[in-house]
Amino acid sequence: MSKKPTTGPALHKVIMVGSGGVGKSALTLQFMYDEFVEDYEPTKADSYRKKVVLDGEEVQIDILDTAGQEDYAAIRDNYFRSGEGFLCVFSITDDESFQATQEFREQILRVKNDESIPFLLVGNKCDLNDKRKVPLTECQGRAQQWGVPYVETSAKTRENVDKVFFDLMREIRSRKTEDSKSTSGRAKDKCKRRKLKCILI
Amino acid sequence: MTETMKEFDRKDFRTDKYVKELVQECVGGSELQQRKSKIHSYYDQTSSALKKHVYANYMQFIETAKEISHLESEMYQLSHILMEQRNLLGKLRDGTGDSKKDLGSDETAEEDADDTQSLVAIKTVKEMVPGFTGSLENKTFLNEGALIELDANDYRPIQRVFFYLFNDILIVCKVKHDKKLEFLTQYDPTKIAVINIKDLDGVRNAINIITPDGSKILQCVTVAAKNEWIEKFEIAFKFNQLNKTKKITASKSKLIERQASSIDTKSITSDALLTPTEETASVSENWAPEWLATASEEIQALIAQRHFEDALSLIQKSEEFLEKDSTFWNSAEIAGKIKNLKTELSNVLIHELSIYQNRNLQATLRSTRRPLKLLGEMGKARQACATFLKVCTSGIRSAQREARRNNLEVSELFFCDLAEVATEFMRAFKSQAACVSCLVVWCNTELRYFASQLVKHYLTKGSQLEAVAKCVEGVRAPCAKLNEIGLDLSYHMEGLLRGTLEQIIEESRVRMLETVGRTEDAWQPYNLQTKSNLKSLLRDMEILGLDMSSQVTGDTWINLTQSTVNFCRHFLSVTESCAYLAKIETLKLNSEILLKDIFLAQHAIKPNPGITVDLNFVSRNKSYLVEELLPVAVKKFEKLSGRKNEVLSDVHLQLRGPPKPKPRSVYQTDVL
Repeated sequence: MSKKPTTGPALHKVIMVGSGGVGKSALTLQFMYDEFVEDYEPTKADSYRKKVVLDGEEVQIDILDTAGQEDYAAIRDNYFRSGEGFLCVFSITDDESFQATQEFREQILRVKNDESIPFLLVGNKCDLNDKRKVPLTECQGRAQQWGVPYVETSAKTRENVDKVFFDLMREIRSRKTEDSKSTSGRAKDKCKRRKLKCILI
Repeated sequence: MTETMKEFDRKDFRTDKYVKELVQECVGGSELQQRKSKIHSYYDQTSSALKKHVYANYMQFIETAKEISHLESEMYQLSHILMEQRNLLGKLRDGTGDSKKDLGSDETAEEDADDTQSLVAIKTVKEMVPGFTGSLENKTFLNEGALIELDANDYRPIQRVFFYLFNDILIVCKVKHDKKLEFLTQYDPTKIAVINIKDLDGVRNAINIITPDGSKILQCVTVAAKNEWIEKFEIAFKFNQLNKTKKITASKSKLIERQASSIDTKSITSDALLTPTEETASVSENWAPEWLATASEEIQALIAQRHFEDALSLIQKSEEFLEKDSTFWNSAEIAGKIKNLKTELSNVLIHELSIYQNRNLQATLRSTRRPLKLLGEMGKARQACATFLKVCTSGIRSAQREARRNNLEVSELFFCDLAEVATEFMRAFKSQAACVSCLVVWCNTELRYFASQLVKHYLTKGSQLEAVAKCVEGVRAPCAKLNEIGLDLSYHMEGLLRGTLEQIIEESRVRMLETVGRTEDAWQPYNLQTKSNLKSLLRDMEILGLDMSSQVTGDTWINLTQSTVNFCRHFLSVTESCAYLAKIETLKLNSEILLKDIFLAQHAIKPNPGITVDLNFVSRNKSYLVEELLPVAVKKFEKLSGRKNEVLSDVHLQLRGPPKPKPRSVYQTDVL
């Protein structure tokens, strides 16, 4: 972890991942500016920062909105390294985007090397329930299998938009306090992991 | 007169000499006076002419500056388009690549140009950056420029840096105080991730680059520079992947060559098959003229080269010819081809139109002129106008979003944009009645969207009446201006806002009634403690239109209660807001009722029976409200809204007295 800011509120770094066109940017912009953007323009990598009040405490959220398109797959590792929590987004109207979450999950776990990284599975576009292609039980099943929460959102109607960001920030925060409490223990843990890795290589 | 005044323009003009001559010429004081007045009037003329000139020049300057900024944004877009085209061509070249020799030579020529640029850049790096020792041979130069590195925590500038970006190396230098460069470090662009920082506590034009040794926030000078860096970093990142694919294609080139040669032979054989039939046919039939036979290929080439005008004229020429004479043997085939090409051309033009989406509206309007004109000529005006309006929609909406984020005046911007679109539209489709109705429908849709946004962002529940009135005024003025170009949207606009405004007025009425008389009044004259306080109060009231100086007693007293004075101030400002809203008939009654209700509420306040008060003083306050405040408010209302306020006038008559003794007696028993 890089050095923490010495002054100012705590900073939580959130990364939006998921296939192209599932609504990562729409969710981000809805959360940031309370508006729904209809025009689609593929993102490369945009970052946003905002001060919010999380359970009575002022914190900063840093959102990195990444590219879903396959051409950017190779750079993703570099981005993922800086994230403290992930919103893995898919569209409930697009089964392919749901299948792709598996890959994103694997890539994140590989890069962060941490099974319990704060992570939320997000099914977006729930206002289009009549066009649903991914059954709810399947989504919940996958979330359960990974041991992460599953939330359905709509960037259009703003349903659950704040919830996903705040839930994730809460997880990040509790992870951080846990970390600082048992720094020595985790350090050991990390050492172990590193050793394991060395052996593998 | 100008004859005599030419004297002044001469270079060797001297005042004393001129006066001397004048005195000699003139006889008597009266003539001198005359001359004086002449000179004076000339002076006035000159000064006004000078002012006019300065003004004209100034306007011209503003116009030119505007033009330049438009052109600038257009240039930026053009360069962007060119870049896209270049990438596209590059991809195409990689695809077909080595199999064709003539293309190959082109490629090498371009590569040569790239190489020389790279060589120049390498040379400057060697000269400018003394600490750098690595080899730069065979590298492709991509971009260079100065940036400011910011602190990751408080975003303050740390240092100025200078970047040289090559295909596989990024050289980072520090800019020292003497503006010389000092080599800091170097990175592999494939290990760098670039993030576009869109929102960071007001830091503008910043990017974040994640390097193997931590992330850095860098600020660029302009938006254009920022976008260029993002793009170039991407190119650098993809450069190696591209090279890999190049190698693969190179290894496959043999295969491709083989395939190509087989295709060639095929095409030759097919040609051979074709020619005999043609010849046999030509024996008995007419031939199409040569230009017509090759027209389809020619048109295709013209479209590809984006010479749309030429392509269209050739199509028209061919069509005309075919209409006159279609007796030759392959006329049907040629006609079919031409027809297909025509649809292709219109598709290309429509695509060309829709490409301008999400760009600056002014630039869009400018650059759509050409395709619009051509599509009009082709009889595709309706399709064209639909696409054009769609493009404008996105242009206007994104401009609105931008303005909202930056807290700018959205209404004026919206109507200006609307007016610009409308004028541009009329220029292109004036003769097409069907299209003009499209414009009207479109305007209504945009207006509806705009109104919904306005309601959502500015006219929310609990908005202050004053702010609402200001906002509505801000909408009306530019909306009315559209009448100048023959677009009357005011009625529609009012209709869209009416429901919301009625609700807001009603809500304000309830809220204001709750606050009237909430504070316990001691029914004592109002002491302002100091003279200056009194003075500023009187001034404030005068600005609102009420002269209170007659109520002053002593140095610092006003012979009314504090609550009366405060109510006067409040009531007049509410009257102002209401008057603005009441400019439209439909809202008038609501605002009048609001005013009436709060006035009556204040008027009906009774002193608390628990305290002893001077009843004369109480009635004095009441009569002040009726006799002084009310007429002022009525007048103010009429002046601002241009409509008579009947409800308040009625209240005035009712409360006033003598002609109608009944209400007065009721009122008196109330007080006593």
